[in-house]
Amino acid sequence: MGCGPKKYPGSIGLDMNASTAADVIAHLDKGALPFRDSSFDHVRGEHVIEHVADIIATMEEFHRVTKPGGTIFIATPHYTDYSSFRDPTHRWHLNTYSFLYFYPGGMHGRDMWYTKVRMLEKRNYVSLLRLWRALGFEFLVNHSKMFRQFWEHYLSFLIRGKLMEFTFEVIK
Amino acid sequence: MPPLILDVGCGRKKYPGSIGIDMSSAGEADVLCDWEKTLPFRDSSFDQVRMIHIIEEVDNIFRVLAEAHRVSKPGAIVTIITPHYTDHASYCSPAHRWHLSSFSFWFFSDKPAEYDYYAPANYKERRVHVETLRLWRTFGLEFMINKFRWFRKFWEYYLSFIFRGKTVEWNLEVIK
Repeated sequence: MGCGPKKYPGSIGLDMNASTAADVIAHLDKGALPFRDSSFDHVRGEHVIEHVADIIATMEEFHRVTKPGGTIFIATPHYTDYSSFRDPTHRWHLNTYSFLYFYPGGMHGRDMWYTKVRMLEKRNYVSLLRLWRALGFEFLVNHSKMFRQFWEHYLSFLIRGKLMEFTFEVIK
Repeated sequence: MPPLILDVGCGRKKYPGSIGIDMSSAGEADVLCDWEKTLPFRDSSFDQVRMIHIIEEVDNIFRVLAEAHRVSKPGAIVTIITPHYTDHASYCSPAHRWHLSSFSFWFFSDKPAEYDYYAPANYKERRVHVETLRLWRTFGLEFMINKFRWFRKFWEYYLSFIFRGKTVEWNLEVIK
């Protein structure tokens, strides 16, 4: 999804721009994607979700075209990284909890009632700037749930995040 | 007659005694409508309008505040609660479009006439209350921020990325 000029090897690429490596030209903000329900084993959205007009509608489409048990990979900047604000087409500024919205019981123990999309978090990795990685903070943030929470609440404007990578398993 | 209260985007926790409106029937709404377009109520109907964790999700804050102004009686109070942009909660939802500070609504209040054309609703800020993270509250920072407007400004300019905020609450009086 939004493959750009560097399409993931072996994939079907979709982009709105015909001068990319896309196999299918379609716009993520303009309604249904031109694929049948439950078509794909794996859907990838690298640096694309922060650009779309409506994240929930886009995730609903990603979910629709993925097979039950299939996976969705999302990479996007953490909102404390400068790259989140560098691009004037970035509409959304996200953190490592931004997709709880779609998890069973993700809204304080309850399912979110504004969307029917349900998926499980298989991986949620945040990389930090090189200095913080060298000092061991990246390890802590990714290996301790408690430290992750403390970091998001108190530290992330000082020990700033960089890239977030999520893998979700689709439930249908 | 008891005061008439409108809870915009009431979700599953409608304010007791209010009329709740929402876009989803899964909550406690009394009226289902796309309230980002037009509120299905007559001018000057309500004594209080509540917008709790809603304003950060709308398409157009000005249009929603103009509609809230229209359906409110003169002197009614519009209560807004939203995350401060330095809280992690501001970034936790894929529906959060706007990241706001405690001065985000100042220009609806005592605004210069030249701002009328893009913020047509007239409000008076009656109360602005910042909640900070618990650690900073115990150090008295929350008290200072809410006690002195100059300190709130200093905090917003210099301190808020270190001593992070949590939520902001406004009581805006409707001026008609």
